[in-house]
Amino acid sequence: MTKTKRMNVLMYVFLTIVSLISVFPLYWMLISATNKSVDVSRGAMLPGTALIDNWKSLISQSPVGSAMLNSFKYAVILTIVALVICSLAGYGFEIYHDKGKDLVMSILLLGMMVPFVATLIPLFRMFSAAHLLNTTLGFILPTISTPFLIMMFRQSARSFPHDIIEAARIDGLNEVQIFFRMFIPTMRSTYAAAMTITFMNAWNNYLWPKVMMTQDDTITMPMLVANLTEGYVTDYGVLMLAVLICSLPTIIIFFLLQKSFAEGITGAVK
Amino acid sequence: MKRKILSALLCVAMSATMLVGCGGDSKESTDDKKAETTDDAAAGDDAAAGDDAAAGDDAAAGDDAAAGGEQKLTVWCWDPAFNIFSMEEAGKVYQKDHADFNVEVVETPWEDVQTKLTTAATSGDLSTLPDIILMQDNAFQKNVISYPDAFVDLTDSGIDFTQFGEAKTAYSVVDGKNYGVPFDNGAVIAAYRTDVLEQAGMKIDDFTDITWDEYLEKGKTVLEKTGKPLLSCQAGESDVIMMMMQSCGASLFDDEGKPALVGNAALKKVMETYAALKEAGVLVEVNDWDQYISTMTTETVAGTINGCWIMASIKTAEDQSGKWAITNMPSLVGVDNATNYSNNGGSSWAITANCQNVDLAKDFLKSTFAGSVELYENIISCGALATYLPAGESDVYAKGDDFFGGDAVSAKIVEFAGKTPSNNTGVFYYEARDAVATAMQNIVGGANIDDELQLAQETIESQMQ
Amino acid sequence: MSQVKEPKKRKMSLERRHNLTGWAFLTPATLMIAVMSFWPMIQAFILSLQTGKANNLKFGDPLANYVRMFRDNVFMTSLGNTFLYLIIQVPIMLVLALILASMLNNKDLRCKGLFRTAIFLPCATSLVSYAIIFRSLFGVDGFINTVLVNLGILHTGYNFLGHATSAKIIIIIALIWRWTGYNMVFYLSGLQNIEYSVYEAAKIDGASPMQTFFKITVPLLKPTILLTAIMSTNGTLQLFDESVNLTKGGPANATITMSHYIYNMSFKYVPTFGYAAAMSFLIFILVAILAFVQMKVGDKRD
Repeated sequence: MTKTKRMNVLMYVFLTIVSLISVFPLYWMLISATNKSVDVSRGAMLPGTALIDNWKSLISQSPVGSAMLNSFKYAVILTIVALVICSLAGYGFEIYHDKGKDLVMSILLLGMMVPFVATLIPLFRMFSAAHLLNTTLGFILPTISTPFLIMMFRQSARSFPHDIIEAARIDGLNEVQIFFRMFIPTMRSTYAAAMTITFMNAWNNYLWPKVMMTQDDTITMPMLVANLTEGYVTDYGVLMLAVLICSLPTIIIFFLLQKSFAEGITGAVK
Repeated sequence: MKRKILSALLCVAMSATMLVGCGGDSKESTDDKKAETTDDAAAGDDAAAGDDAAAGDDAAAGDDAAAGGEQKLTVWCWDPAFNIFSMEEAGKVYQKDHADFNVEVVETPWEDVQTKLTTAATSGDLSTLPDIILMQDNAFQKNVISYPDAFVDLTDSGIDFTQFGEAKTAYSVVDGKNYGVPFDNGAVIAAYRTDVLEQAGMKIDDFTDITWDEYLEKGKTVLEKTGKPLLSCQAGESDVIMMMMQSCGASLFDDEGKPALVGNAALKKVMETYAALKEAGVLVEVNDWDQYISTMTTETVAGTINGCWIMASIKTAEDQSGKWAITNMPSLVGVDNATNYSNNGGSSWAITANCQNVDLAKDFLKSTFAGSVELYENIISCGALATYLPAGESDVYAKGDDFFGGDAVSAKIVEFAGKTPSNNTGVFYYEARDAVATAMQNIVGGANIDDELQLAQETIESQMQ
Repeated sequence: MSQVKEPKKRKMSLERRHNLTGWAFLTPATLMIAVMSFWPMIQAFILSLQTGKANNLKFGDPLANYVRMFRDNVFMTSLGNTFLYLIIQVPIMLVLALILASMLNNKDLRCKGLFRTAIFLPCATSLVSYAIIFRSLFGVDGFINTVLVNLGILHTGYNFLGHATSAKIIIIIALIWRWTGYNMVFYLSGLQNIEYSVYEAAKIDGASPMQTFFKITVPLLKPTILLTAIMSTNGTLQLFDESVNLTKGGPANATITMSHYIYNMSFKYVPTFGYAAAMSFLIFILVAILAFVQMKVGDKRD
């Protein structure tokens, strides 16, 4: 008993240390966002009083509202569509797997292995020919289907019990119904994790929008943050406030979803 | 069975709509854009035609667009407190005579301007470019020579380029043609903390018109008495090296554009000087720009040497007002044509080949950045110092700045700019700059200068292929 | 019922139908990848056979770019750096993520949500702030140096980012810090597919936490571990952000990565897209080989 207790204490200590190290930058961001630029560069470690000034200065020089809205729009649409078509594919690859499909999966994996810098120019040429520059569709299409997401669903479908499928078929459900009624609810934890990751990637997507978005009204949050770091003088207080605002949505989404993917309802399988 | 086939069909249909969707939706979205901004849509539609027309026959293209009524120019630049502000002020100045004129600035960091420009020019679709872009002077040769069709030749635009500092204009001249209207001043200043110098028993005059040898000696004294180095800079960046190089008009390339590092007496002297400063502790290296700025705001250094735009950063530490003074930079010893003047940074305006109204753009730049003393008087508040020489004679430039002990710094800088030797950045400026920075870091770490220069030269030659 | 009456024929068609359904399910995603990744990749490959600057590209010796990179000392340095990161960082990170995930999967643990969110935070934090923080933490007057000097380990501050070895170590630390939580997410979600009763049974049987970890957690998470291993390998070989933002590739190219150099060749320097594409294809080949090996080892259905 005492041994388990000691183990437990050790575990809490370990987790607390790891958490503190992980959280430190967020703390620093918070502190910096409330300080004047000059105090940030002097290494301020305590909350300051400049939060409101920084906020005023941020909204006066940058379209924070529209950038947040744009980022949300792109990230939400992309996440939903990507989850649907990638989970469908991942399910298809695993549940109906055969040699042919395994081969196709391996080939698809190759799709993520070329650095984006190399495909940037051909992709740009393609999108400009299709008049998709500066559009939402243009933003989401390149990452709407990723080998990574497909593989994630394929790997997790591996633990989806085949007897459920058989039972459902006997009950008269067709394949599409099985996917929507049985697979999706059972795989809630995978969907929640995939949603978090996809949202985060979409939110932080930078290189592609930087190339294809050329108008002020299409700007995203990461682009706005990048704008703030340019120029001869950087206002660190304002910059960190923007960075903080830019980081919050992902953090909130993670916090809300973590219960779903870490305490999944495996019970529903039975 | 039927339902299963149906569902299969559904999936296929889904994928099909996805693909067809690309085409269909795109039409709609461009139409939307067209309704919003007539200019951009027009630019998008006949991109290819636009390039040729704009580059080839300015007058015709200009007239066509002018007839359209609305007179708008889109501009890419990046600093709201500085060049964006200046561009908007220029728009206001021009509006006085042209009531329906409008400038639309899209805030775009320099690195993004470069990426977008390269992407667009390489893809052959310039329609995403604005009418005017602000270009870093160091990148001007590279971009114009790489993509000659992407820019408009301004030589015969009526702009009087002799009214700008010669060194400054040289950045945007390619094959004798002018492609840019000079904007901000990058004249090098040496700024010192007079209170720190005083503790070491020195004055700002002791640092005026000096050589690097004297600087080193005086720096040692300051370090000894106050514990503060005279200079800080970013490790891995070659700003200090390039400033020293330009101060004697030297370049990393020869006249034919070949890298000339090996046997370059000026470069060797520069590297020796840098290594000696570092060795003595008079120069400290920090790891990034933020730390560089904080060496000044936290008072860990007694001065700095950089383009005059650094003043804006120095001034953010309001409590240090009155404690700073500026003068010229030290000169190299034993090198031909050594001066106390140089340049770092700065940018110029360029008109892109996507501009549908080239005449308007030319006239706008001619009447503002290349013709309006009033504009330069308006923008001096944001620290934008002119390279337009007539502006330097304005009363506003003669006013003292209390932060710098009441000195008329603006006039001083315009004077410095006029004395700066021009240098040849070359097309492969960034390649050379990085190779030299790498060499310098190795030399500071104890490597042999000649070996490192040889290696750096080979790196550049390999990258030039 | 029907299966009993006409067993052979009926089953065949059922299987075929399932097979077709499978293809239909994966078609939309596959088509999108074909258009958005493979088509540009083919074009990039054609580009990689051309030499020249900016738009003056021409076909010559098709292998010129591929030969060139092996004589390019900066690229060779970047190749070495990238592999060093891969070999050291990926295993440490994955093991750490696995340990954290199995700790946080404990039903009796308090404040799970808080711990999980905290550990996930680094990858949600914007790159800008994280780069600034790491640089200032490890600066000469930075927090780490202050601590080391006060503890008497160092006499004066050490310029961690200014020396080749320490700069590499810092990149590795930064990568582990940033991506461990990210990988933990996959393990946490993968662990949900393991019945919790299995753990309870093991506990009753007197298995130690170590035994449970190696005998239950690791084998059952194998598909997820494979996924994260391929992802991390891919991510590290394409590493860009840390090199650009933390160290700018310095000191003297000691930390530069392949993707960073490719970016420089494409956008910072005079554009050399043919050569850049060729270097990208080397990365492609390297990742593909490593992924293939990992698939061979880990992608077996038991």
